[in-house]
Amino acid sequence: MKKASLPGILAAFVIAALAVALPSFAGAYPLQVARNVILYMALAVSWDMLLRSGQISFGIAGLFGFGAYASVLAVLRGGMDPWLSILFAALLSGILSFAIGLAILRLRLMYFSITTLALAEILRIIIHNLHDFSGGPEGVVLEGSIAGGNASALYLLSLAGLAVAIGTSLYFEKSKLHLALTAIRNNETSARSSGVDIFRYLLIAFVASSAIQGMMGGIYVQSYGFATPESVFDANFTLLPLAMALLGGIHSTIGPMLGAILLGLAAEWLKLQIPYGHLVVYGIIIIIVILFMPKGLYGLARGGRKSS
Amino acid sequence: MTTLKTEGLTKRFQGLVAVNDVSFSMAAGEILGIIGPNGAGKTTFIHLVSGIILPTSGRVEFKGQDITWMPAHRRARLGIARTYQLIHPLENLNLIENVMIGGVFARGLSLSAARRRSAELCAALGLEDLERETSRLTILEVKKMEIARALANEPEVLFLDEVMAGLNSDETKHLIGVVKSIAKERGMAVGVVEHVMGVIRELTQRVIVLEAGELIAEGPYEQVSKNPRVIEAYLGGAA
Repeated sequence: MKKASLPGILAAFVIAALAVALPSFAGAYPLQVARNVILYMALAVSWDMLLRSGQISFGIAGLFGFGAYASVLAVLRGGMDPWLSILFAALLSGILSFAIGLAILRLRLMYFSITTLALAEILRIIIHNLHDFSGGPEGVVLEGSIAGGNASALYLLSLAGLAVAIGTSLYFEKSKLHLALTAIRNNETSARSSGVDIFRYLLIAFVASSAIQGMMGGIYVQSYGFATPESVFDANFTLLPLAMALLGGIHSTIGPMLGAILLGLAAEWLKLQIPYGHLVVYGIIIIIVILFMPKGLYGLARGGRKSS
Repeated sequence: MTTLKTEGLTKRFQGLVAVNDVSFSMAAGEILGIIGPNGAGKTTFIHLVSGIILPTSGRVEFKGQDITWMPAHRRARLGIARTYQLIHPLENLNLIENVMIGGVFARGLSLSAARRRSAELCAALGLEDLERETSRLTILEVKKMEIARALANEPEVLFLDEVMAGLNSDETKHLIGVVKSIAKERGMAVGVVEHVMGVIRELTQRVIVLEAGELIAEGPYEQVSKNPRVIEAYLGGAA
């Protein structure tokens, strides 16, 4: 709960203004790249929100894919308005994670992580096999992208999703959630003795981060106009946000954002230089970060503050 | 007035009976010593009454209310606080945040109100420079922080589990003074686990003695320390 400095606030406003104004001076390709970076940034920030409690989720792709299908099927089978379906995806992902959280938030460490990984796979397999309803392995195609596929509109929609993620994450940082989640991460027994209802706060963090992941899934499919199990449950939706948060610096909002910009742009450049080679670079970055700077770039810049 | 009471409190860990049929009570304003050799079950006993572990059998009552199965965080809100023998500062929170947490979650205060009250507590304990990281605190400061964090719950019953261990006699004396005055001021019941008998003699009006999980003696320190069973428990069968 550090107090924001005036230059920091000004810088944030300038960056936000530039981000909103980007479509007025950038072409289609930069906007497309920016959308991609924004998508992963929102996922990285949402993943970090739960990580602050010490719980490491490998289930991002699962909630993302679930939200994507919730949105696409609500439009296709339920005739829902596409814009509304994005909120519906967030809501349904939140409800699903609440129910699942009741069962799995008793688990800790790798037991929790492995369970979230399995959960993502289970969701993918269910969608894969519900041929009549979900379209099965071939997936489903919408009549068209949201907002007629207008590049500026799609970009602003992603940006709105990111704003929700950052806003929620900042609230986590500035409110008593920060105290609760950090206490849980550092020492659950001490936290309990100070009156922290551990399960309640884990559930809040899990549901909030899952709802954001589901919402981004909805934004993603509505932007592209189609979904297949392989595309929306892709393991990259788990791995890339994780790598970004680790590189930028975990347990903060700024860190994952920083990591997303760096890795997102690097990936775009590398994709052109060496197709598929960017994944190798990702792997190397994760190894280097974990070995030599476990606090990430933001952690290094912040100096003394421990980040275990 | 009895604040905290146990009846036949028992905890079995597989074959081992860590706490065996312990019945005791504490009154408001009383400072009670809890003594016994290593492994006697003192810490387990505090775990049981603070809800960190649940008993195998028996009963815990707080002001007449049965709290035997109540989770620890709700007992903290009800008015039971404690420190830990193995100190665990919350290392990613700074000094004042470590203390605030009891005010925010046990008392339901707003962040700013909890911060204000915690600053007062820290001042009373002689803690300064409250935005410091916990890694920069001395042992004495960490111990004071642990006490401040427990006091931030605004408890009616407080357990101090070997909080003086590792401190020199001046530091110990200072802390004893602080604990005594806060307990008196708030009419709090305080349970003190301590191996240094000088501390027990200075601080407590009454002691209970645990050995192998059983309560073997109870009374003022001067009387209990002459009890043959207590002497035998401390010195072993050879005495």
